[in-house]
Amino acid sequence: MATGASIEAKGLTKVYGEGPSAYHALGPIDLDIAPGEFVSLIGPSGCGKSTTLLLVSGLEPQTAGTVAVDGKPLTAPISDVGIVFQDHLLLEFRTAMKNVMLQQEIRRLDRKRIEERAHTLFARLGLEGAEQRYPWQLSGGMRQRVSIARALVHDPSMLLMDEPFGALDAITRTQIRHDLEMLWLDTRKTVLFITHSIEEAVGLSDRVLVMSKGPGTIVDEIRIDLPRPRPAHLGEYPEFAAYAKRIYATFEKLGVYQFH
Amino acid sequence: MTTGARGWSIRARAFDGRVLAGIVYPLLAIAIVFGLWEGVIRLFDVPVWLVPKPSDFLGRFATELPTLAAAAWATSVRIFFGFLLGVAVAVPLALALVSIPALERGLYPVIVFLNIMPKTVIGPILIVWFGIGPMVAVLIVFLMCFFPVLVDAMSGFRAVDPRLHYITRSMGATSFQTFRHIRLPASMPHIYSGMRIGIIKAVEGVIIAEFIASNAGLGHLIMRASSYMDMPLMFCGLIATAIVALIFNAIMTLLGRVLMPWARRV
Repeated sequence: MATGASIEAKGLTKVYGEGPSAYHALGPIDLDIAPGEFVSLIGPSGCGKSTTLLLVSGLEPQTAGTVAVDGKPLTAPISDVGIVFQDHLLLEFRTAMKNVMLQQEIRRLDRKRIEERAHTLFARLGLEGAEQRYPWQLSGGMRQRVSIARALVHDPSMLLMDEPFGALDAITRTQIRHDLEMLWLDTRKTVLFITHSIEEAVGLSDRVLVMSKGPGTIVDEIRIDLPRPRPAHLGEYPEFAAYAKRIYATFEKLGVYQFH
Repeated sequence: MTTGARGWSIRARAFDGRVLAGIVYPLLAIAIVFGLWEGVIRLFDVPVWLVPKPSDFLGRFATELPTLAAAAWATSVRIFFGFLLGVAVAVPLALALVSIPALERGLYPVIVFLNIMPKTVIGPILIVWFGIGPMVAVLIVFLMCFFPVLVDAMSGFRAVDPRLHYITRSMGATSFQTFRHIRLPASMPHIYSGMRIGIIKAVEGVIIAEFIASNAGLGHLIMRASSYMDMPLMFCGLIATAIVALIFNAIMTLLGRVLMPWARRV
């Protein structure tokens, strides 16, 4: 089983376009994520959270700064990774199982081994019986679960998630948050989790990085010291209220929130 | 097991219901129209060279069946090859246009111009080049169905969510793998709807081509019957053409199920 990779970024900056129409989307930011760590990036929309994910995976080139995964500087997209976006991005013409098995087909991995892993993941994610269904036959929550299975089936050392539960209802979100935490506890992959939900960030992470409005920089870093697995109702911990208060205060100070 | 058997019988009954609605009712409607038609023509004693009665051309249809079948076959072969050529050229060209921006900027205006131009005006030029024969019909069919397939295939190849490419690139997919596993199947519904429009245009195109430049086929048969004022035979040709169009339409429906087994069927 792959252990988590470390992610290190220094002075990471992204500017889209050139000249007067150039848009400074991110940075400079520094990241130092330990192997097996669960780190959330939380910030207002347009702060460059998603850009961070694309730079860290090598899918977009950075304008300045460096990214290194497991100590190796990135020059091309990394493949030892699973990615989940807010939209499930499943292929409508493949069944749930075949969507997950796309990883095996494209990476040319051993079919039997990956199929076994896929079945295990389906069971862990409450997807039994959905294997042969097409995405349009699944609920929004199940589609996103299939998308998570697709990101994990090849046992990558890093999981990048960009607001993966953003399109789900609150009840589904709480359940899927727990299911993801349980999976993570078993495998300890490095996770970079992008969200604008304080509850998700605190509920899942070892560490929460709070970002400012665009061009985003990291303005606060909070180590979350809550026992795992964490409960559905985080409010039962007084620490949760303290963490949430600290994030709200940071956002208010930055002018993200303007309450009068 | 019992639920399985019951499920099957429910499905069988639903199938019967659909057959009833899909075949019996239209046939009934046609029978009523033909009956009224026969009655009115007999009542006012309209001569056969002006408007034939259903009894005139249905009887003729039976006696001329071998001739009609031969003509329908010739027409079908031209539709088939013209359509095949159209799809075989349009789909790769669509991919090339979408993938190479310079090619699109250069070629697309030309394609739009050719698309707006009525395809039949090329007929006389094609006659000079290829003479009277099947080639003119095949090429006109090709032109008729080429454009709808091209335009829809292009929008299909564009329809893939760019973030999906992030996921495939993180899998280390080659561009051929991305095409084979994602772009082609994802664009299939678009290509297919272009093909459905294309096949209708193909039938129209082949008949026009056979009007102007052919020595075989249903268009030729209708044109010849017209020069003899043979009204019943012209109506036979019309019915045979409609049957050819229906058959091609049915083939397209089956093809849709083969190409897109995942599509939801209502």
